Amino acid sequence: MTEVYINSSSMIPIDRYYEYDIYDLVIEAYKNFEGEYDVNNIDLIVVANAYSQKLNNASLIAPKIAEKIGKPNVPAIKVDNADASGGAALLTAYSMIKSGMVNSILIIGVEKQSDYPSKYLYDTIATNLDEYMYYNGISSHSVAALLMRQYMKKYNVDGNYFANWAIKMHKNATENPFAYLRFPVDLNTVTNSQIISDPVRLFDVGARADGAAIVLLSSNKTESSVKINRIVSAQARYEFSPSLPSVKMLRNKLGMRLTEKTGIDIHDSYSIMAALMLEESGVFESGKSLYNLDNVNVNLSGGLKARGHAGGATALYQLAEAHMQLIGSFKGKKANVDDYLVISSDDLGIVSYGISLSR
Amino acid sequence: MKIAPPQVWRNKRFMYKLTASKCESCGHISFPYSSYCTKCGSKNVKKIEISGKGILESYTVSYQSRDGHEKGLPSVIGLVRLDEGVEIVAPIVDADLDKLKEGIKVEATLRRVYTDSYNGLIQYGIKFRVAE
Ligand SMILES: [Zn+2]
Repeated sequence: MTEVYINSSSMIPIDRYYEYDIYDLVIEAYKNFEGEYDVNNIDLIVVANAYSQKLNNASLIAPKIAEKIGKPNVPAIKVDNADASGGAALLTAYSMIKSGMVNSILIIGVEKQSDYPSKYLYDTIATNLDEYMYYNGISSHSVAALLMRQYMKKYNVDGNYFANWAIKMHKNATENPFAYLRFPVDLNTVTNSQIISDPVRLFDVGARADGAAIVLLSSNKTESSVKINRIVSAQARYEFSPSLPSVKMLRNKLGMRLTEKTGIDIHDSYSIMAALMLEESGVFESGKSLYNLDNVNVNLSGGLKARGHAGGATALYQLAEAHMQLIGSFKGKKANVDDYLVISSDDLGIVSYGISLSR
Repeated sequence: MKIAPPQVWRNKRFMYKLTASKCESCGHISFPYSSYCTKCGSKNVKKIEISGKGILESYTVSYQSRDGHEKGLPSVIGLVRLDEGVEIVAPIVDADLDKLKEGIKVEATLRRVYTDSYNGLIQYGIKFRVAE
């Protein structure tokens, strides 16, 4: 049976890169791969990206990226499932290697989000909503706010409860040289930050900027291999009860036993999504997850909140970080972990990918 | 923001009225209208027009606008449970923030959504207001 491994990984710090276009971001992340044996033998390039047509006026970006990294004749495809594009790209690449069709694939996640003012960026992100909401001017932030409010009522918690997420993520990010927001924050800063859509404040929202991260997938085991044990996907609309049925479905499909030596990485697009994901995936009891963040190795990079939110490239950051943690080369906060659970999702948890990794 | 007239014409089913589908198999109401039930996948659905009357279950006051929707900030976005049983997320207009509360009755109203200053076109849509 063919096994699938992540053999190398690379990323650039998430930031606002005025001097780089979408291709330059990839080139900067790709430089670290040069000289590696496997990279000269790749069969396919899979690009994870969500918004290049609207934000960068660029289509057919996968073959263009192939040319720009010196692989003009390696077939390249783009996989898009909005901010879950990285999970979808991994599922695609994993399946192709598993089938025996190809042996090695470079998965490149890239998103260039900082060129336009935020109101234009958030109009683009709102295209993820249904047509009634999109045309009526509603933003994803407001949907997240309604989920957060429902959660507050159900579990009788306030803004201080959700502030625990931002405080923890910023603390983790201070140790990560690849993080976008490398500063600590306290309760006062978080709970008095700008209101975006009440009760969602600035510090409840993942910080979108530019990023590129790459992993090399292969059927060959090497000294730096991390094995992909399983990848499962699930899809279901969020409910205002509130719940994320897609993440609950992942948990059942994946059947992964979580221990204190399991690293966890989730798509914390909003602090409410962090809470719901940690609870629906079975890490913590409902209504209590954000009281317990010191008891688990979660989002050691600082998460979308502070490492930064690279849109459709996000899961490539998650996978690269998990790979580095498991082989002991991560440059930020390290944890002694045996295996990893990565959850890649869109910002409102409609599609989710659960990935189980181990050394 | 540029408006495409064919889009406006097609979007009338959810911008000028609340057209939904009711599943004959599981009873689920899908909004916007879908030929297949968005819950169970059944094709056995019938087109219904939603009354536009409901209850404000929850709401959020938004201070950040999207491109083309700068007017009318802060805006109120409600979670509305319509009398037919379906929940939708919709804009609430003319709201007095001091008096707005969960559980009050709301009703649909046709309002301006945005203006295409380049072509001089105006897009209208169904929003909600507090029902007296
Ligand atoms: Zn049905």
